[in-house]
Amino acid sequence: MKVRFLANDSLVETEAWALAPALDFIRGELRLTGAKEGCREGDCGACAVIVGVRNESPTGLRAGSGFAYDAQPSCLLALGELEGRQLVTIEGLAAAGPTPVMRALAEANGSQCGFCSPGFVVSLTAYLINGDERRGALSVEGAFAAVEGNLCRCTGYGAIKRAAARLVEEFASLPLDPYARLDALVAAGVVPASCASFARGEILPSLARGEPSVEGGSLALGGGSDFFVRNPHPDPAAFPAFSLLDREPALRRVERRTAGGEERLEIGAALSWREFFSDPDILKLVPGIERFEKLLASPLVRERATIGGNLANASPVGDLTAMLLALGASLRLEGPTGSRELPLDELYLGYKKLELRAGELIAAVILRASRPFSLFNFEKVSKRERLDIAAVNTAAAFEAEDSAGGGPLIRRARISAGGVAPVPLLLKKASAFLEGRPLTAAAALEAARIAAAEASPIGDVRGSADYRRRLLERLVLAHFVVLFPGSGVEEAIS
Amino acid sequence: MKPTKESELNLSGATRYLDDLPATEGMLYGVPLTSPCARGLLRGIDASAALALDASVSVLTASDIPGENQLGEAVSDESLLVDGEWSYLGQCLALALAATPSLARKAAALVRIVYDELEAVTDARAAAESGSFILPSRTMRSGDPASAFSRCAIVVEGRVESGGQEHVYLEAQGAIAESLEGGRVRVVSGTQAPSGVQRAIARTLGLGMHDVEVEARRLGGAFGGKEDQAAQWAALAALGAARTGKTVKVYLNRREDMNWTGKRHPYSSDYKLGLDAEGRILAYEADYYQNSGACCDLSPAILSRTLFHAASAYRIPNLRVTGRMCRTNLPPFTAFRGFGAPQGVFVIECALDAAAREGGWDPVELRLKNLLAEGDSFHFGQPVADCRARRTVDRTLELSRWTELRAEIDSFNSAHRLVKRGAAILPICFGVSFTKLVMNQGGALVHVYGDGSVSVSTGAVEMGQQVARKIQVIAARSLGIPEGLVRVESTRTASVANTYSTAASTGSDINGMAALAACEEIRGRLLGLAARMLGADKGELRIESGFVTKGCEITELAWKELVDKAHLDRIDLSAHGFYATPGLFYDMKAERGSPFAYHVYGCSAVTATLDALRGTYRFDEAFIVHDVGESIDYDVDLGQVEGAFAQGLGWAALEDLRYDERGRLLSDTLSTYKLPDLRFMPSAVKIEFLEGAPNPKAVMRSKAIGEPPLLYGIAGYFAILDALRAVDRTHPTKAPSSAPYAYDLPMTPEKALDFIQGVRR
Ligand SMILES: Cc1cc2nc3c(=O)[nH]c(=O)nc-3n(C[C@@H](O)[C@@H](O)[C@H](O)COP(=O)(O)OP(=O)(O)OC[C@H]3O[C@@H](n4cnc5c(N)ncnc54)[C@H](O)[C@@H]3O)c2cc1C
Ligand code: FES
Ligand code: FES
Repeated sequence: MKVRFLANDSLVETEAWALAPALDFIRGELRLTGAKEGCREGDCGACAVIVGVRNESPTGLRAGSGFAYDAQPSCLLALGELEGRQLVTIEGLAAAGPTPVMRALAEANGSQCGFCSPGFVVSLTAYLINGDERRGALSVEGAFAAVEGNLCRCTGYGAIKRAAARLVEEFASLPLDPYARLDALVAAGVVPASCASFARGEILPSLARGEPSVEGGSLALGGGSDFFVRNPHPDPAAFPAFSLLDREPALRRVERRTAGGEERLEIGAALSWREFFSDPDILKLVPGIERFEKLLASPLVRERATIGGNLANASPVGDLTAMLLALGASLRLEGPTGSRELPLDELYLGYKKLELRAGELIAAVILRASRPFSLFNFEKVSKRERLDIAAVNTAAAFEAEDSAGGGPLIRRARISAGGVAPVPLLLKKASAFLEGRPLTAAAALEAARIAAAEASPIGDVRGSADYRRRLLERLVLAHFVVLFPGSGVEEAIS
Repeated sequence: MKPTKESELNLSGATRYLDDLPATEGMLYGVPLTSPCARGLLRGIDASAALALDASVSVLTASDIPGENQLGEAVSDESLLVDGEWSYLGQCLALALAATPSLARKAAALVRIVYDELEAVTDARAAAESGSFILPSRTMRSGDPASAFSRCAIVVEGRVESGGQEHVYLEAQGAIAESLEGGRVRVVSGTQAPSGVQRAIARTLGLGMHDVEVEARRLGGAFGGKEDQAAQWAALAALGAARTGKTVKVYLNRREDMNWTGKRHPYSSDYKLGLDAEGRILAYEADYYQNSGACCDLSPAILSRTLFHAASAYRIPNLRVTGRMCRTNLPPFTAFRGFGAPQGVFVIECALDAAAREGGWDPVELRLKNLLAEGDSFHFGQPVADCRARRTVDRTLELSRWTELRAEIDSFNSAHRLVKRGAAILPICFGVSFTKLVMNQGGALVHVYGDGSVSVSTGAVEMGQQVARKIQVIAARSLGIPEGLVRVESTRTASVANTYSTAASTGSDINGMAALAACEEIRGRLLGLAARMLGADKGELRIESGFVTKGCEITELAWKELVDKAHLDRIDLSAHGFYATPGLFYDMKAERGSPFAYHVYGCSAVTATLDALRGTYRFDEAFIVHDVGESIDYDVDLGQVEGAFAQGLGWAALEDLRYDERGRLLSDTLSTYKLPDLRFMPSAVKIEFLEGAPNPKAVMRSKAIGEPPLLYGIAGYFAILDALRAVDRTHPTKAPSSAPYAYDLPMTPEKALDFIQGVRR
């Protein structure tokens, strides 16, 4: 099996193992040592590279174009994922001398020891290509958000912020049309000319489609954000066969379907988190869900991690899992013996034990569109607000209506919780308690109390058991404070 | 700042760090096999399965060490490879060598050991109770605290905890050792202390120091973690090279680095502070239980800095402070920016916080009342000289609009129930010099090449603190030439010998002075020549912007021409410079003397917003007024203040280093150990350097910059505490007297919620 891709502006064809971390191939075989290994688990951003794709699933692409360039952590990237794509490394960016991004950082003194620097350059460069929400417009806040996955231990970020703000100013008038913009960035020396050619299919047209060139098999790799953390140096002998779900177009679509008279949204399980949070159908169905994207990992990781991976990973604190549990999602599972549907809350049997048969894949996540929840909220507390795993998370979805006299009447309620049991929990009792009740302060306090009683947390480095239980109670209350302002809940909390 | 070549190289990915150096033909990779529990007795090592793996595999154990199996510099209590008992989890037992990193990893995993697990202690106070110390305790006193307490109107007592801190230099530790002919070795080491590494290798290999050459290239951060602790990896690589005759690379990954290397010392302390009715401090006592870990490492020096900074920026007439180095079965704790001072400063600040509450004083008034001033003395006898405490505090109060800010916060807090704001002010006073006298010396070697370009070598290691940039500026200004003509070299023991670690913020003070001395020597020779060439008096000549000047006029004589002529005239264009910080003395018995060349002053104000529902917080603003003397490079100094402040804030309110009771590190990855990211930092940070404050005691009237600003972060802890106290707790006294104290750093969302819910006092 061969992997063929464009490394900066030269074609690479390799027989190397397609499941090897791209970072090792880039540093070892390509001898491009600008991408650094700082952690090998997606947490520092020092290994970031830009990956260019074209002619792929429309969800992955820059709005209104046939291509996309995104920054990704190469330590969580399988070499095989590069098939048919363009890898742009810091060396590729710097081929014609320091770029405006490098100059801005240098002028602000944003590089002290320098070990993090290539990663920051890569993230900021990808931001200039994409802009906010990949619609092109730049903002200082957006530029800050773009480096949320990059750690710097030296600068304290002051100089990096100043450089980012300067870049936003300098490039304020970039065209919004993706092709014109790429040309402008080439002209300004931000990205190499090969990007504009690759995006248009002018170079290496034979690679126009990233055909999955890896054989199917036992390991299904989603974004690798969990796999590579658990297998930092995967051994080829241990994974003789695998498939890269990223390369299955059927798993990367969002489709509206009607089945059994019910309208539903089928979300391909290999959708990346970023794609999930920017899909118009999903945003329409779950109002405000995009507000919570920033609480999940980092921009770099969100480019890689898939929703299916979050569900299959079965972490008790999976954030998307908590959200989808509250939203009443079901799954379409596909395996050797066919396809079946399973409500998500029946997937988890015990700690990391799933109701998945051998060879079965999560193919899609299904949300019912006929009777959407009108209110949705997500709460997560972690030691660091960004790029951290929750001590406790919880999501709540309500269908509520104004009732005469009392507070809003809750018709349907689904509250989930993570980090408080061996599996992601649907808080059935607390949810049931609320259904059919007007939301009063007393009801909210009681629901939160019931929720805490449903929890059976353990203590670990992210929080003691006792803390987790108390925190869950507070976070359930937070749902009401956020979703039912003026209901008197806030005043009742002590 | 003009973009320097160096930072552009970093930003282009062109800078080569240790792991970026190309592998050489036949290179072997070394992976240590480490101890599986916190304390144990090694009974046997069986490497047969590892050796059967591949022909390239070899496994080295203690018996392969040709010299002394000993690394400890201050106290000989640290073996390179365990032979007998080990005393922490992650201690090196053997080194597996193989042709590829993955083979070496596999080989190390295949080495079997036979051992007995022994009982371990991880808690400092428990170690103290059983009399387990690294060295005897140390006490500093002044006045008569015992009798002073009886005159106090208010006395507060309590306990303070501060956690350890992982360095997270982004580049992990490692070394590459090359075996040379005649048994010599040449080592590239990721170290702040090349001479120390050289000494350790010579000692363990039984070689003369002249047989060992050590080079430190640019490091991807160090922060103290690569002082003593870099020696081990270099010595292992050198051992591998010596035994195999090949080049050997040892490079840790993040998890190994976090598990096996030392960090900032956790402290548990007791304080007692007494004040008169007006809030003047009369007496202070503190007992520090330093968790030193399993070996001495730099613990004594770090403890002494704690004791020297026990009173921080305050005048305390009667004082008794005692420090104990408690030997536990954790990896040896080591230097980390601040070097013991933050731990000591945190305790006195907690004591003042408690006193302000007890006495009903405004926390800022209380601090102002007790602030150090000219004419005071430190408790170790050194007079307070050129004191800038009041100036920096006053300016910080102005800059932060403190009075208005306080009023805004108070009215915000009365208008909001579940969101509260808080603020705190923290003055600093940090002594500059190594507390170990002998370390205050350094050398430099300067060559002017025939084309006028200049090479400067010093003992300073460039690790992101941009000391190379400062030395470049110093050399260029001294020689009167453009900065571009000066290259600052990587640090090599063959160029500059007998150096000490680049640390204690003294990197540019000491090495800059040594470089200056060498440059001035050369400049003197060249000006002598110029005087002859121009028929002028040497005294009226200078070199500026690459030309010889006479009085105010620029002559035709250019630098390059002058250098060229000097060479033809057989004038030596190289010079060695040396600097030993003058005026330092200390009597260890009496605990009296002048251990510091000068002090750095400053003040920070930090504000925070607390989400009292969720127990989370954010920093809003920080105002810092810092005394940098005359800055050699504004951007470099600004970067040091910002970076140190971030680390201090991380230590105070985020970075949660956790071991379990069996000595296993729980926070051993970047997913479980969180350090500041861009969003963690206050959204607005205003930093000002104190104006008109030259420092006659250091190079080019500057002041050392590396460590002092780390202390500013402590204000973040108190800002959150301030906000927590504004929460309307229905049961403020619900916390039983056995509940843990609030003075437990780092603040975490868990502790904040505990406090809100009355689980913590
Ligand atoms: C830096 C970092 C930050 C993180 N932050 C968060 C966070 O904030 N919140 C959070 O919830 N999680 C977080 N995670 C955990 C994150 O890795 C997973 O939640 C992620 O969703 C896994 O998805 P993936 O596609 O990358 O999975 P992979 O690593 O590709 O796969 C994980 C496992 O799931 C299996 N799998 C993948 N897809 C499928 C499928 N469709 N059907 C069946 N099996 C499948 C794989 O075979 C594998 O065993 C973080 C991880 C990292 C590295
Ligand atoms: S190495 Fe840290 S994110 Fe990849
Ligand atoms: S400059 Fe050192 S980590 Fe960023």
